[in-house]
Amino acid sequence: MLLTLLFCALFAEWVTPYDPLQQDLINALQGPSVEHWLGTDDLGRDVLSRLIFGSRIAVIAPAEATGLAVLIGVPIGLFIGFRGGWWDWVVMRVVEAVVSIPGIMVAIVIIAILGTGLHRAMFALGILYSTAFLRLARSVVLTEREEVYVKSARVIGAGPTRILLRHIFLNIAPPLIVQVTLTVGAVLLAEAGLSFIGIGVQPPQASWGTMLNSAASFMELSPFLAVPPGIAIVATVLAVNLLGDVLRDSIGRGVRVPSTGAPAQRMLAVPRKATTPMAPHPDDALRVEGLEIMVSPKGEAEVPVVTDMSFRIAKGETLGLVGESGSGKTVTGLGLMGLIGTGVRITNGRVMLENTNLLGLDRRDLEKARGNDVAMVFQDPTTSLNPTYTVGNQIAEVLRIKQGLSHRAARDRTIELIDRVGIPRPAQQADAYPHELSGGMAQRIAIARALSCTPKLLIADEPTTALDVTVQQEILDLFRDLQDEFGMAMLFVTHDLAVAADICDRIAVMYCGEIVETAPVDALFADPRHPYTAGLLSAMPHGQSGKPPLPVIRGSVPAPGHWPTGCRFAARCPYAIDACAKPVQMTGTDRLERCTRADELSLEPAK
Amino acid sequence: MSAPLLQIDDLSVTYWDRSLLGLRANGFEAVKRATLTVDAGQTLGLVGESGSGKSSIANALLGLVPPSGGTINFDGQDLATLRKGFPPEIRQKIQAVFQDPYSSLNPSMTVEEIVTEPLKVHTRMTRVERHEKAVELLKLVKLPETHLHRYPNEFSGGQRQRIAIATALALQPSLIVLDEPVSALDVSTQNQIINLLYERRDALGISYLLIAHDLALVHHISDRIAVMYLGHIVEEGPADRVYHQPAHPYTQALLEAVPLLDPARQRARRAERRGRVTTDMPRLSEKGCPFSGRCPHVMDRCTARMPPAFTVPDGGTARCFLLDDEPNEQGRSKD
Repeated sequence: MLLTLLFCALFAEWVTPYDPLQQDLINALQGPSVEHWLGTDDLGRDVLSRLIFGSRIAVIAPAEATGLAVLIGVPIGLFIGFRGGWWDWVVMRVVEAVVSIPGIMVAIVIIAILGTGLHRAMFALGILYSTAFLRLARSVVLTEREEVYVKSARVIGAGPTRILLRHIFLNIAPPLIVQVTLTVGAVLLAEAGLSFIGIGVQPPQASWGTMLNSAASFMELSPFLAVPPGIAIVATVLAVNLLGDVLRDSIGRGVRVPSTGAPAQRMLAVPRKATTPMAPHPDDALRVEGLEIMVSPKGEAEVPVVTDMSFRIAKGETLGLVGESGSGKTVTGLGLMGLIGTGVRITNGRVMLENTNLLGLDRRDLEKARGNDVAMVFQDPTTSLNPTYTVGNQIAEVLRIKQGLSHRAARDRTIELIDRVGIPRPAQQADAYPHELSGGMAQRIAIARALSCTPKLLIADEPTTALDVTVQQEILDLFRDLQDEFGMAMLFVTHDLAVAADICDRIAVMYCGEIVETAPVDALFADPRHPYTAGLLSAMPHGQSGKPPLPVIRGSVPAPGHWPTGCRFAARCPYAIDACAKPVQMTGTDRLERCTRADELSLEPAK
Repeated sequence: MSAPLLQIDDLSVTYWDRSLLGLRANGFEAVKRATLTVDAGQTLGLVGESGSGKSSIANALLGLVPPSGGTINFDGQDLATLRKGFPPEIRQKIQAVFQDPYSSLNPSMTVEEIVTEPLKVHTRMTRVERHEKAVELLKLVKLPETHLHRYPNEFSGGQRQRIAIATALALQPSLIVLDEPVSALDVSTQNQIINLLYERRDALGISYLLIAHDLALVHHISDRIAVMYLGHIVEEGPADRVYHQPAHPYTQALLEAVPLLDPARQRARRAERRGRVTTDMPRLSEKGCPFSGRCPHVMDRCTARMPPAFTVPDGGTARCFLLDDEPNEQGRSKD
């Protein structure tokens, strides 16, 4: 489409059947015919020829205006964004004044000053649209300026010019491209509009706007006249915007995800049913059987992130889900509550909360179960609480919606809960906003909210990771006390084995989307059976003494889609043998391991 | 003994809330008269919780924030007086590695562009020479040469941190400020990076100022450790002494708060800790010890004035009256 446009614009003289200005009053206002494919206008000029010549304007006009807008807007935006202070203040007030007036009005005013004509009109539009580029450049600079790599560049000793050009300007490219194409579209429309009201391109010169203008005058006689330029404008604007999106996606270098397509196919062949030996038990609060979660990265084949995931948590028990980043522990926690984003799919398994399969519930029942039966505490309390409501309101809201309490009763219960999680002066603190609280206090509020409906299961996803260690200690104590009081089962997701040692009754160690070992907490630390568990334990900072080299697990966690078909840990395992190339099942009765050599290895306990 | 590489004396860093007219309003003193020493080829671990002021010391040392008082003597020059930015010869000698490996590398530059940028700024090396140097730098951090033309988003956190270290090594600095270099990484990757840093330090004779919140981790690689609390350096001494025999109650609390890897011993410790009666709310006194509100050993004079630095028998100092050998005399001098 755009190529056609460009071709027409460049070679208008050769492709047009008639001179666009040649009048033929006898054949005026004809419909489409063999001689005149798109008919003729009021002066008998060939519409097709005029359309083709009009495309020349459609190329020149946006190029002029957009080019000018970029040249004016981007440098000024970069400058004021980087300098800040008075420069920024003054320029931004001017820009705000300009954008607060409808664009076309400003253009008309500028044209009134400069006089009519295409180039003047485009100059006007260029100035007008430069404000958009200015604001774009400024906002990118403002965010980039705070990036750690800009700080690093300052430490290296790079000067402001270098930082601006090398580190900040490069990252403007993707949004800039989108803005350029949007502007081209907007200018095209504005040009048509200005020409239509007669202050842009002047007749008899052909432009899509002037064609619409004359078409409007003869709407009664020949309604078809408006169609060709109208379609041309719409199609061009759409095509330009589409091109912008494509360009942004392909030029935005360093933003693409490496392909994981091929290995993904192979992974689909994993066994579909739960292979972990596990019989139902009356004490179970939660029983997860053969859970499998798939993720489809944008435009690529689906890859599993959690496979053959089975575990149980008894009433009042805490199970720790431990593993390195990328092991799938967080997505498991979210999956249990059905809180999975787009592109994520639970493809197999059952999540039995007492006698209900959460995965079998429809949306309404699931929403009812969340909060009432299952609740969650997240890692970062400052983002998991809504900054625009007081913390008291956020707890009371849950009580009103989930338990149908009156405003008064909800408020009283809220204060009780805030008091229960160890916050002094609860009635006063209920009226605080999240940002007024420290991280530890905010996490206490998040815990109070999660427990407001006395759930059967509490999922805590790294609830102490963002906190200082002395605060972490207090929060862990709080979890302990609340569990004694409320009797809920807890799934405690953490990367820190020491935290798990403190809070959990049993621990499940995850690696590459599957559980590799489950054991009661004392047994796991005294006698790890899976080499990965032993590796993690030995790598703990206070698990060793003395000078480096510190023990490491060689290599790194493979990304989903790149997991080996056999034992997923084999490539990093110091004890791997040939038999490890085959998939390994969970074995054992009281504690479970996923290792072919579990019985013969004697691994080092935690120190 | 030769002069230390870095000698920070009485350093203060104050952040000001600016009012509309640009006048200085409320000041917040993030660092309060801190004194630190880093010897050539040695590592000083600077430990503290969030808000303790440890990163402010780093930023002052890197020229990213101006100090409000004190001196920073580095290589015979007082950096605290250089308000207009550091001269290139100082810049070359102090480099840094920051915490977040995901935002510390420019996403639109290749690894080669990233690691050679310091060379472009500070040297007149040709493109070929820079490429050779980039290959050498990647070798130093144990990454394959093939990574040079890739972009940061293709790497894991540990690999990115290696790239950041390679960049910091490019100009052969004498001091690298490591601001929480491994806290965003998994334990095993943490150890890989710590091992690498340790190895490079000894091979290249660099000094580190290692800033972290994890005392256990810091003690493996540090020669000395300083502990910060609310802007004050409350304890300083040889790494093993501070880790195994902490003298200041805050250091003790910090160590005790990290759960043990032995669940049975951890249960016992928790029970013991919770049996103790502690004052719940921090009573912050303007003049006294900042930890007095949470300290189990608090005495009257702790709230009256900030304890001076007392010598710890096995090395180093701690700002706590518990170490005062002549309590009576101190008590009198208060009046």
